Amino acid sequence: MSKEKIGIGYRIGHWFTYHPWLKLIAFILAIMAWFYVKGEIKLFDY
Amino acid sequence: MYILSIIHSWKPIIEILILWFVIYHIMLFFEGTRAIQVLRGIIILLVAFFVFQKLGLEILNWLLTKLFGISVIAILIIFHPEIRQGLARLGQRHLFGTSLREEELDYVLKQIGKATEELCRKKTGALIAIEKNDPLTAYIESGVLIDARVSSDLIENIFTPNSLLHDGGLIIQQGHIIAAGCLFPLTENQDLSRIYGTRHRAALGLSEETDAVIIIVSEERQDMSLVYRGKLYKDLSREDMLSKIKEIIKLKKDDV
Repeated sequence: MSKEKIGIGYRIGHWFTYHPWLKLIAFILAIMAWFYVKGEIKLFDY
Repeated sequence: MYILSIIHSWKPIIEILILWFVIYHIMLFFEGTRAIQVLRGIIILLVAFFVFQKLGLEILNWLLTKLFGISVIAILIIFHPEIRQGLARLGQRHLFGTSLREEELDYVLKQIGKATEELCRKKTGALIAIEKNDPLTAYIESGVLIDARVSSDLIENIFTPNSLLHDGGLIIQQGHIIAAGCLFPLTENQDLSRIYGTRHRAALGLSEETDAVIIIVSEERQDMSLVYRGKLYKDLSREDMLSKIKEIIKLKKDDV
Protein backbone atom coordinates (compact mmCIF):
# COMPACT_ATOMS: atom_id res chain seq x y z
CA MET A 1 0.00 0.00 0.00
CA SER A 2 1.53 3.29 -1.02
CA LYS A 3 1.29 6.66 0.69
CA GLU A 4 -0.77 9.05 -1.37
CA LYS A 5 1.21 12.15 -2.34
CA ILE A 6 0.00 15.54 -1.17
CA GLY A 7 0.87 18.67 -3.14
CA ILE A 8 3.38 21.13 -1.71
CA GLY A 9 0.91 23.98 -2.27
CA TYR A 10 -1.72 22.21 -0.19
CA ARG A 11 0.82 21.61 2.58
CA ILE A 12 1.94 25.25 2.63
CA GLY A 13 -1.68 26.47 2.64
CA HIS A 14 -2.55 24.04 5.40
CA TRP A 15 0.46 25.10 7.46
CA PHE A 16 -0.74 28.71 7.46
CA THR A 17 -4.37 27.95 8.21
CA TYR A 18 -3.84 25.29 10.89
CA HIS A 19 -3.53 26.82 14.40
CA PRO A 20 -2.16 30.20 13.24
CA TRP A 21 -2.49 31.72 16.74
CA LEU A 22 -0.70 28.83 18.37
CA LYS A 23 2.14 29.26 15.88
CA LEU A 24 2.31 33.02 16.53
CA ILE A 25 2.33 32.59 20.33
CA ALA A 26 4.96 29.85 20.07
CA PHE A 27 7.09 32.13 17.87
CA ILE A 28 6.86 35.03 20.34
CA LEU A 29 7.73 32.68 23.21
CA ALA A 30 10.69 31.28 21.26
CA ILE A 31 12.08 34.79 20.68
CA MET A 32 11.53 35.68 24.35
CA ALA A 33 13.22 32.47 25.51
CA TRP A 34 16.18 33.06 23.20
CA PHE A 35 16.74 36.62 24.43
CA TYR A 36 16.30 35.53 28.05
CA VAL A 37 18.87 32.74 27.78
CA LYS A 38 21.24 35.01 25.83
CA GLY A 39 20.96 37.60 28.64
CA GLU A 40 21.60 34.96 31.29
CA ILE A 41 24.63 33.62 29.42
CA LYS A 42 26.07 37.15 29.14
CA LEU A 43 25.34 37.81 32.81
CA PHE A 44 27.28 34.82 34.02
CA ASP A 45 29.87 35.08 31.22
CA TYR A 46 29.86 31.37 30.32
CA MET B 1 35.56 29.28 6.16
CA TYR B 2 32.94 31.19 4.21
CA ILE B 3 30.30 28.50 4.97
CA LEU B 4 31.28 28.54 8.66
CA SER B 5 30.87 32.32 8.85
CA ILE B 6 27.41 32.04 7.24
CA ILE B 7 26.39 29.35 9.74
CA HIS B 8 27.73 31.52 12.56
CA SER B 9 25.68 34.53 11.47
CA TRP B 10 22.58 32.36 11.01
CA LYS B 11 22.97 30.70 14.42
CA PRO B 12 20.41 32.85 16.31
CA ILE B 13 17.81 32.28 13.55
CA ILE B 14 18.40 28.52 13.60
CA GLU B 15 18.19 28.49 17.40
CA ILE B 16 14.96 30.51 17.43
CA LEU B 17 13.45 28.27 14.73
CA ILE B 18 14.29 25.12 16.73
CA LEU B 19 12.85 26.71 19.89
CA TRP B 20 9.72 27.70 17.93
CA PHE B 21 9.30 24.16 16.63
CA VAL B 22 9.66 22.64 20.13
CA ILE B 23 7.37 25.18 21.87
CA TYR B 24 4.73 24.88 19.12
CA HIS B 25 4.66 21.08 19.38
CA ILE B 26 4.43 21.19 23.19
CA MET B 27 1.45 23.58 22.86
CA LEU B 28 -0.08 21.45 20.11
CA PHE B 29 0.25 18.37 22.30
CA PHE B 30 -1.66 20.04 25.13
CA GLU B 31 -4.28 21.63 22.82
CA GLY B 32 -7.69 20.11 23.47
CA THR B 33 -6.74 18.66 26.85
CA ARG B 34 -7.60 20.05 30.28
CA ALA B 35 -3.91 20.85 30.80
CA ILE B 36 -4.11 23.66 28.21
CA GLN B 37 -5.62 26.01 30.83
CA VAL B 38 -2.66 25.39 33.18
CA LEU B 39 -0.28 25.90 30.25
CA ARG B 40 -1.98 29.22 29.41
CA GLY B 41 -1.46 30.35 33.03
CA ILE B 42 2.22 29.39 32.87
CA ILE B 43 2.65 31.30 29.58
CA ILE B 44 1.05 34.43 31.10
CA LEU B 45 3.42 34.17 34.09
CA LEU B 46 6.41 33.71 31.75
CA VAL B 47 5.45 36.80 29.73
CA ALA B 48 4.97 38.77 32.98
CA PHE B 49 8.38 37.57 34.20
CA PHE B 50 10.04 38.69 30.96
CA VAL B 51 8.33 42.11 31.08
CA PHE B 52 9.22 42.65 34.78
CA GLN B 53 12.81 41.81 34.05
CA LYS B 54 13.01 44.20 31.09
CA LEU B 55 11.37 46.98 33.14
CA GLY B 56 13.72 46.31 36.06
CA LEU B 57 10.92 45.66 38.60
CA GLU B 58 13.13 43.80 41.05
CA ILE B 59 10.61 42.78 43.72
CA LEU B 60 8.14 41.27 41.25
CA ASN B 61 10.99 39.68 39.35
CA TRP B 62 12.35 38.12 42.57
CA LEU B 63 8.92 36.83 43.54
CA LEU B 64 8.35 35.20 40.14
CA THR B 65 11.86 33.69 40.13
CA LYS B 66 11.13 32.02 43.50
CA LEU B 67 7.69 30.93 42.25
CA PHE B 68 9.23 29.25 39.18
CA GLY B 69 11.68 27.36 41.40
CA ILE B 70 8.83 25.80 43.36
CA SER B 71 6.59 25.35 40.31
CA VAL B 72 8.96 22.85 38.62
CA ILE B 73 7.77 20.18 41.08
CA ALA B 74 4.18 21.44 40.84
CA ILE B 75 4.28 21.16 37.03
CA LEU B 76 5.56 17.59 37.26
CA ILE B 77 2.64 16.71 39.53
CA ILE B 78 -0.02 18.64 37.58
CA PHE B 79 1.11 17.37 34.18
CA HIS B 80 1.88 13.84 35.34
CA PRO B 81 -0.81 12.13 33.16
CA GLU B 82 0.08 14.25 30.11
CA ILE B 83 3.82 13.61 30.48
CA ARG B 84 3.20 9.89 30.79
CA GLN B 85 0.86 9.98 27.81
CA GLY B 86 3.34 11.97 25.71
CA LEU B 87 6.20 9.58 26.41
CA ALA B 88 3.94 6.62 25.65
CA ARG B 89 2.93 8.26 22.37
CA LEU B 90 6.59 8.74 21.42
CA GLY B 91 7.21 5.05 21.96
CA GLN B 92 4.08 4.00 20.11
CA ARG B 93 4.94 5.65 16.76
CA HIS B 94 4.83 3.46 13.70
CA LEU B 95 8.27 3.73 12.16
CA PHE B 96 7.07 2.86 8.70
CA GLY B 97 3.55 4.16 8.55
CA THR B 98 1.42 2.78 5.77
CA SER B 99 -1.87 4.11 4.55
CA LEU B 100 -4.63 3.36 2.13
CA ARG B 101 -4.62 4.19 -1.54
CA GLU B 102 -6.97 6.96 -2.64
CA GLU B 103 -9.58 4.59 -4.13
CA GLU B 104 -9.49 2.27 -1.10
CA LEU B 105 -9.91 5.24 1.22
CA ASP B 106 -12.83 6.47 -0.89
CA TYR B 107 -14.44 3.04 -0.72
CA VAL B 108 -14.04 2.80 3.08
CA LEU B 109 -15.36 6.34 3.60
CA LYS B 110 -18.31 5.69 1.29
CA GLN B 111 -19.26 2.60 3.32
CA ILE B 112 -18.86 4.47 6.62
CA GLY B 113 -20.92 7.39 5.31
CA LYS B 114 -23.69 5.10 4.11
CA ALA B 115 -23.77 3.20 7.40
CA THR B 116 -23.72 6.26 9.65
CA GLU B 117 -26.48 7.94 7.66
CA GLU B 118 -28.64 4.85 7.93
CA LEU B 119 -27.89 4.49 11.67
CA CYS B 120 -28.80 8.13 12.13
CA ARG B 121 -32.10 7.59 10.34
CA LYS B 122 -32.85 4.52 12.47
CA LYS B 123 -32.02 6.42 15.70
CA THR B 124 -29.20 4.00 16.49
CA GLY B 125 -26.06 5.15 18.26
CA ALA B 126 -22.58 4.26 16.99
CA LEU B 127 -18.95 4.84 17.86
CA ILE B 128 -16.35 4.24 15.14
CA ALA B 129 -12.62 4.85 15.52
CA ILE B 130 -10.34 4.98 12.48
CA GLU B 131 -6.70 4.27 13.31
CA LYS B 132 -4.18 6.76 11.96
CA ASN B 133 -0.54 6.72 13.13
CA ASP B 134 -0.90 5.73 16.78
CA PRO B 135 -1.68 2.02 17.13
CA LEU B 136 -4.98 1.19 18.83
CA THR B 137 -3.79 -2.29 19.84
CA ALA B 138 -4.62 -1.84 23.53
CA TYR B 139 -8.23 -0.90 22.67
CA ILE B 140 -8.57 -3.63 20.03
CA GLU B 141 -7.69 -6.18 22.72
CA SER B 142 -10.56 -4.93 24.90
CA GLY B 143 -13.11 -5.89 22.22
CA VAL B 144 -13.91 -8.77 19.91
CA LEU B 145 -11.68 -9.34 16.87
CA ILE B 146 -13.51 -9.25 13.53
CA ASP B 147 -10.97 -8.46 10.78
CA ALA B 148 -13.42 -8.01 7.93
CA ARG B 149 -13.56 -5.69 4.93
CA VAL B 150 -15.44 -2.49 5.73
CA SER B 151 -19.04 -2.68 4.62
CA SER B 152 -22.01 -0.52 5.53
CA ASP B 153 -24.17 -3.58 6.19
CA LEU B 154 -21.67 -5.01 8.64
CA ILE B 155 -21.34 -1.69 10.50
CA GLU B 156 -25.14 -1.36 10.72
CA ASN B 157 -25.40 -4.94 11.91
CA ILE B 158 -22.79 -4.45 14.64
CA PHE B 159 -24.61 -1.43 16.05
CA THR B 160 -28.08 -2.95 15.90
CA PRO B 161 -29.57 -2.53 19.40
CA ASN B 162 -29.45 -5.64 21.60
CA SER B 163 -26.76 -7.26 19.46
CA LEU B 164 -23.79 -8.51 21.49
CA LEU B 165 -21.29 -6.06 20.02
CA HIS B 166 -23.41 -2.90 19.80
CA ASP B 167 -22.10 -1.58 23.12
CA GLY B 168 -18.62 -0.17 22.75
CA GLY B 169 -16.59 1.13 19.86
CA LEU B 170 -15.74 -0.28 16.46
CA ILE B 171 -12.15 0.07 15.25
CA ILE B 172 -11.14 0.40 11.62
CA GLN B 173 -7.52 -0.36 10.81
CA GLN B 174 -6.06 -0.28 7.30
CA GLY B 175 -9.47 -0.43 5.63
CA HIS B 176 -10.64 -3.32 7.77
CA ILE B 177 -13.09 -3.53 10.62
CA ILE B 178 -10.58 -5.00 13.02
CA ALA B 179 -12.64 -5.18 16.22
CA ALA B 180 -15.96 -4.21 17.78
CA GLY B 181 -17.29 -3.82 21.30
CA CYS B 182 -14.03 -2.09 22.25
CA LEU B 183 -13.69 -0.02 25.40
CA PHE B 184 -12.33 3.51 25.06
CA PRO B 185 -11.06 5.70 27.92
CA LEU B 186 -13.49 8.40 29.06
CA THR B 187 -12.40 12.04 28.91
CA GLU B 188 -12.00 13.94 32.16
CA ASN B 189 -12.80 17.21 30.42
CA GLN B 190 -15.14 19.09 32.74
CA ASP B 191 -16.06 21.64 30.06
CA LEU B 192 -17.97 19.11 27.99
CA SER B 193 -21.69 19.88 27.96
CA ARG B 194 -24.04 17.62 29.93
CA ILE B 195 -26.01 16.94 26.75
CA TYR B 196 -23.21 14.63 25.64
CA GLY B 197 -23.25 11.13 27.05
CA THR B 198 -20.74 8.35 27.53
CA ARG B 199 -20.30 7.79 23.80
CA HIS B 200 -19.00 11.35 23.27
CA ARG B 201 -16.90 11.12 26.43
CA ALA B 202 -15.32 7.87 25.21
CA ALA B 203 -14.62 9.39 21.77
CA LEU B 204 -12.97 12.45 23.31
CA GLY B 205 -11.04 10.27 25.75
CA LEU B 206 -9.59 8.17 22.93
CA SER B 207 -8.79 11.25 20.85
CA GLU B 208 -6.86 12.74 23.77
CA GLU B 209 -4.62 9.68 23.95
CA THR B 210 -4.24 8.81 20.27
CA ASP B 211 -4.51 10.43 16.83
CA ALA B 212 -7.48 8.23 15.82
CA VAL B 213 -10.37 9.82 13.93
CA ILE B 214 -13.59 9.01 15.76
CA ILE B 215 -17.13 9.16 14.41
CA ILE B 216 -20.12 9.35 16.73
CA VAL B 217 -23.73 8.80 15.74
CA SER B 218 -26.07 10.11 18.41
CA GLU B 219 -29.27 8.15 18.87
CA GLU B 220 -30.95 10.99 20.83
CA ARG B 221 -30.19 13.86 18.49
CA GLN B 222 -29.87 11.78 15.31
CA ASP B 223 -26.74 13.60 14.25
CA MET B 224 -23.17 12.75 13.29
CA SER B 225 -20.10 14.17 15.01
CA LEU B 226 -16.40 13.80 14.48
CA VAL B 227 -13.68 13.87 17.11
CA TYR B 228 -9.99 14.37 16.44
CA ARG B 229 -7.21 15.29 18.86
CA GLY B 230 -9.67 16.33 21.59
CA LYS B 231 -11.75 18.49 19.24
CA LEU B 232 -15.42 17.82 18.66
CA TYR B 233 -16.89 18.70 15.26
CA LYS B 234 -20.62 18.52 15.92
CA ASP B 235 -23.69 18.03 13.81
CA LEU B 236 -21.96 17.36 10.48
CA SER B 237 -23.58 16.42 7.22
CA ARG B 238 -22.42 13.18 5.57
CA GLU B 239 -20.39 15.11 2.97
CA ASP B 240 -18.75 17.43 5.53
CA MET B 241 -17.87 14.51 7.77
CA LEU B 242 -16.32 12.45 4.97
CA SER B 243 -14.29 15.34 3.57
CA LYS B 244 -13.00 16.19 7.06
CA ILE B 245 -11.97 12.56 7.67
CA LYS B 246 -10.24 12.46 4.30
CA GLU B 247 -8.40 15.68 5.06
CA ILE B 248 -7.21 14.33 8.44
CA ILE B 249 -6.20 10.90 7.16
CA LYS B 250 -4.37 12.23 4.09
CA LEU B 251 -1.92 14.25 6.15
CA LYS B 252 1.04 12.22 7.31
CA LYS B 253 1.65 13.22 10.90
CA ASP B 254 0.17 15.35 13.69
CA ASP B 255 -0.21 18.52 11.67
CA VAL B 256 -3.96 18.29 11.20
